[in-house]
Amino acid sequence: MIEFVWLIPTLPLLTFILLTILRDKVNQTGSYMAICLTGMAFILSVLVFIQLIDAGTAVQEWEWITIGSIQISFGTLLNPLNGLMLILVAFISLLIHIYSLGYMERDQRMTTFFAYLSLFTAAMLGLVISPNLLQFYVFWELVGLGSFLLIGFYYYKNSAKNAAQKAFIMTRVGDMGLLIGLILLFWQTGSLQFEAIFSAITGGDVEGSMLTLIAILIFIGAIGKSGQFPLHTWLPDAMEGPTPVSALIHAATMVAAGVYLVAVMYPLYMASTTALMVVTVVGGFTAIYAASIGLVQNDIKQVLAYSTISQLGFMMLAMGTLGYTAGVFHLFTHAFFKALLFLAAGVVIHAIHTQNIKQMGGLHQRLKLTSITFAIGALAISGFPLFSGFFSKEEILSAVWADGQYGLWLVALVAAFLTSLYMFRLYFLVFHGESKQRLDQIGLVPKTMKIPMSILAVFSIFSGFFNTSWFGSYLGDWLIGDNQMLTNTHHGSSIGVMLIASIISIGGIILAYMIYVKKSFDQTSLQSSFSGTYKLLANKFFMDEFYHTSFVKGAKGVGKIFVYVERYGVGFLLAFIREMLTTLSKSGSKTQTGQTQTYAAVAFLGMVLFTAIYILKGGY
Amino acid sequence: MDLQTLQSFEWGIMTPEFTILIAGILLSLLDLFGRERWKKYLPWLAVISIGIAILFLGNQAGHQDVSILYDTYIFDPFSFYFKFILLLGSFLIYLMILSRTTNHEIEDRGEYVYLLLAALLGTMVMASSGDIITLFVGLELLSISSYIMVGLRKNNLHSNEGAMKYVINGGIATAFTLFGMSYVYGISGSTKLVDISREMSGSLGSGEPVAIIGFIILFIGLGFKISTVPFHMWAPDVYQGAATPVSAFLSVISKAAGFMIIIRLFWDIFHSIGVAAENDALFEAIFGFVATVSILTMVIGNIVALRQRNMKRLLAYSSIGHAGYILIPLVSLTPMSLENIWFYLLAYVFMTIGAFMVIYILEQAKKSEDISIFSGLFKESPLLAVAMTIFLASLAGIPGTAGFIGKLNILIGAVIANPAQYLLAGIMALMTVVSYIYYFSIFVQMFIREPEEERITNISGLQWTPLILCVLGTIGLGIFPFIALNFFS
Repeated sequence: MIEFVWLIPTLPLLTFILLTILRDKVNQTGSYMAICLTGMAFILSVLVFIQLIDAGTAVQEWEWITIGSIQISFGTLLNPLNGLMLILVAFISLLIHIYSLGYMERDQRMTTFFAYLSLFTAAMLGLVISPNLLQFYVFWELVGLGSFLLIGFYYYKNSAKNAAQKAFIMTRVGDMGLLIGLILLFWQTGSLQFEAIFSAITGGDVEGSMLTLIAILIFIGAIGKSGQFPLHTWLPDAMEGPTPVSALIHAATMVAAGVYLVAVMYPLYMASTTALMVVTVVGGFTAIYAASIGLVQNDIKQVLAYSTISQLGFMMLAMGTLGYTAGVFHLFTHAFFKALLFLAAGVVIHAIHTQNIKQMGGLHQRLKLTSITFAIGALAISGFPLFSGFFSKEEILSAVWADGQYGLWLVALVAAFLTSLYMFRLYFLVFHGESKQRLDQIGLVPKTMKIPMSILAVFSIFSGFFNTSWFGSYLGDWLIGDNQMLTNTHHGSSIGVMLIASIISIGGIILAYMIYVKKSFDQTSLQSSFSGTYKLLANKFFMDEFYHTSFVKGAKGVGKIFVYVERYGVGFLLAFIREMLTTLSKSGSKTQTGQTQTYAAVAFLGMVLFTAIYILKGGY
Repeated sequence: MDLQTLQSFEWGIMTPEFTILIAGILLSLLDLFGRERWKKYLPWLAVISIGIAILFLGNQAGHQDVSILYDTYIFDPFSFYFKFILLLGSFLIYLMILSRTTNHEIEDRGEYVYLLLAALLGTMVMASSGDIITLFVGLELLSISSYIMVGLRKNNLHSNEGAMKYVINGGIATAFTLFGMSYVYGISGSTKLVDISREMSGSLGSGEPVAIIGFIILFIGLGFKISTVPFHMWAPDVYQGAATPVSAFLSVISKAAGFMIIIRLFWDIFHSIGVAAENDALFEAIFGFVATVSILTMVIGNIVALRQRNMKRLLAYSSIGHAGYILIPLVSLTPMSLENIWFYLLAYVFMTIGAFMVIYILEQAKKSEDISIFSGLFKESPLLAVAMTIFLASLAGIPGTAGFIGKLNILIGAVIANPAQYLLAGIMALMTVVSYIYYFSIFVQMFIREPEEERITNISGLQWTPLILCVLGTIGLGIFPFIALNFFS
């Protein structure tokens, strides 16, 4: 089976081609076909995965380009990391395909949507089985293209158009870093094959500072793709795309590709402490930065988007502190619960046609299953004990602690606290409290949307058990295996960290409950009817007040500051670059007067300048 | 020279040139004396003659190096591979001319057809010449034919203006070129490239400021053809004025020829020297200068392109930017430089002619050259939109296309060169990102705008032929670049 692994990305590609050609002829059947072929890809990847458990690694290669004496091949590479990503991507893609059937039901361009979705799936599946950096880069760009097409899917919306453009160009900045890093690596090691590169690096063939430069350049690619600070602003804007797309591309798979890239190139990072430090700091800062912005957003998808950025920051933080397993493990669990949260958000948006959480509330009555699954997702992401996120986040905290980065450990802890706070703020505001809309108009949620959510909910609860210090760290053992290059990575966890993580998580949830549920209770009904009880409660609420002023106000203040940083700092920088380009372009066009005299004058002047410079410089 | 010496030359190496020459003469005679109804078959004859020339050229593959007419005309791998690009590009441009649907713009089809052949002959002479004089003759044959071609849309004001500007600027450029050549001749005492190279590698080249001035002026003059700074300003006006196939010719064939002549003069002279110790000053001065020109050209071309709305002007600026990229391998002298330039030019033939072809189709259907002709193209004609997407993706350098491999080769070359050209590679990468913005604006028009009122009725088979060939070339070279690279080596 394992030799047919190339079929896995080919199947969705086939869907894309068929749907593009038969665009006008198939409607509903087209989407069924897409689901069937993706399903086949998933089954195939399961079979491959089962064989891989015994085999460990599998490589297939064919010759591609010969430049001089250097050969670049294409093919497939399966190792534990790639196998895990393969099955993860195939699984989530399949679920999202099914979900989209319900979500996009009334959209006239459903076939186009499925075509784009298949293109993306094909590219993503191709990405995770690339045996060399060039092929990796090709698919890396292709997923970017798929993401671009899907963000701009509602092309009649101006904001969608701009968001697509922004995503396309901003991630390209990162891609150029990756490309140059790749070329430098090629120059230094003479190969683009991962195997050869790593043996050259561990063999000490590459000089230290060059190694750091390459690692950082490649990390710039990861920053762009994974929405790390400062190249993150495209990701919240990308929420203009249809919600299933946000779930698949901008939460579970593509944005995690940056983390995956760091994981793939891990021996490179382990060889350079400076590069690891950069990864750590960028990740840690992004984690807390995005989490505090998430606290003050009022758009359901924006909150989730910032949450994604923050969680990706967590993964980078883990990667930077030698927590290889922790990073990949969190990538794995995050894919489930974040996809779930987006899908549940999609149901909400689908039902009440707004994304503003201030206009939501009380949806629990009408959308029971959605509410429950969303709560599961929120518990998982908050790291509530025994949910999947608990184990992976706790592993990250252990890794940071073990690496001796105590400052960053605190940062991570605060970010984790903020995570459960903003997540349950979202949950309570959307599903509890007074409803601000007429709920009786909400129709039934189609089965095609319910089933994927339920499946994801199951995984959000249980996927953490693949790697625990209680039952055995299957995932970690398997990922590290007998790989010599990863032996120095941290692994395992401690009871102390586990305890603190639980307290932090539950603390955030309780605080959110007090602020957003009880308080509304307090203000509306209690105050008027039970004034006596109210006073009694008020004392108890004094604690809340205290918390509220010290903690929440503080955190919110920081969040607001970061929003300003975002708007005026990062925004200003971007605006500056844009303005500079336009101004340059304008002045460039101005010299183009259309008069031949000017052209000739420029040529003459140019010649005089050039010769003058060279005569002067040469000292002649 | 007596008849015997003349006969002793191996004229066989010139068969492709003779084919084009005979075809050109034949076509002009047919145009003059032939019946009116024959005239529409003239382009077909040209296509056939180019086909024959390609066959002759193919027959020369692997032929040993030959020089005839006392080293003024040479056949070597360089001329073989570059002539291949010239013929292939011209072939595609003739297919483009054949696809024309409206007839009102250029009445005299004949002139157009054989002038193009004459220009092609000029470029082929440039590819093969081993002497400054021959180079110059080829260059002027190309230039003068192009001046007329630009002005052929007699009733179009832009065309008249463009032709005028082209002639004047071309004249100045020629003056520069000749001036530079005279310096080179003055210090080396020869017009033969072999002799010049030898002289330059000696002590003469090292301490001679005149040599530096001569080569710099020569380069600036030749930069006119490849539209590099400071001789880039004519390109947008001229491309806009000329009929679209002529713009394509100027952008592709004429530019390729310009690179050939620069490679002949600079590569042959300096590369055979190598980085000989005594020539460091000259060597560094010249290549430092070329690097500066390359940077300026990339930056100006790509940044000014951001504001263009006329498609032909946009492509003109984009082609200025591409000229900057292609200069990079010339600076980063590695054994792969020639191969990289050749491959990039080959990719450039397919993607640029393809893009011009799409514009040509739309321009005839919608009577406009504004970027808005692309609006809603994906709805009107999905296949055309997909084709354009492929060409633009290749121009922008997105993986899976020929342009990506071309750019990758250039970047690899720049980084592995000694000394490594990080600055050039960095600016190229940066400008590639900038170029995404303007190529992107065309994507936006095609995919996320509503179509305007005038619709494309249908696209004929004749119009599809060059498009399909270009798509195949662009994708084929992107996925199987080794086909071309193996062919080259």
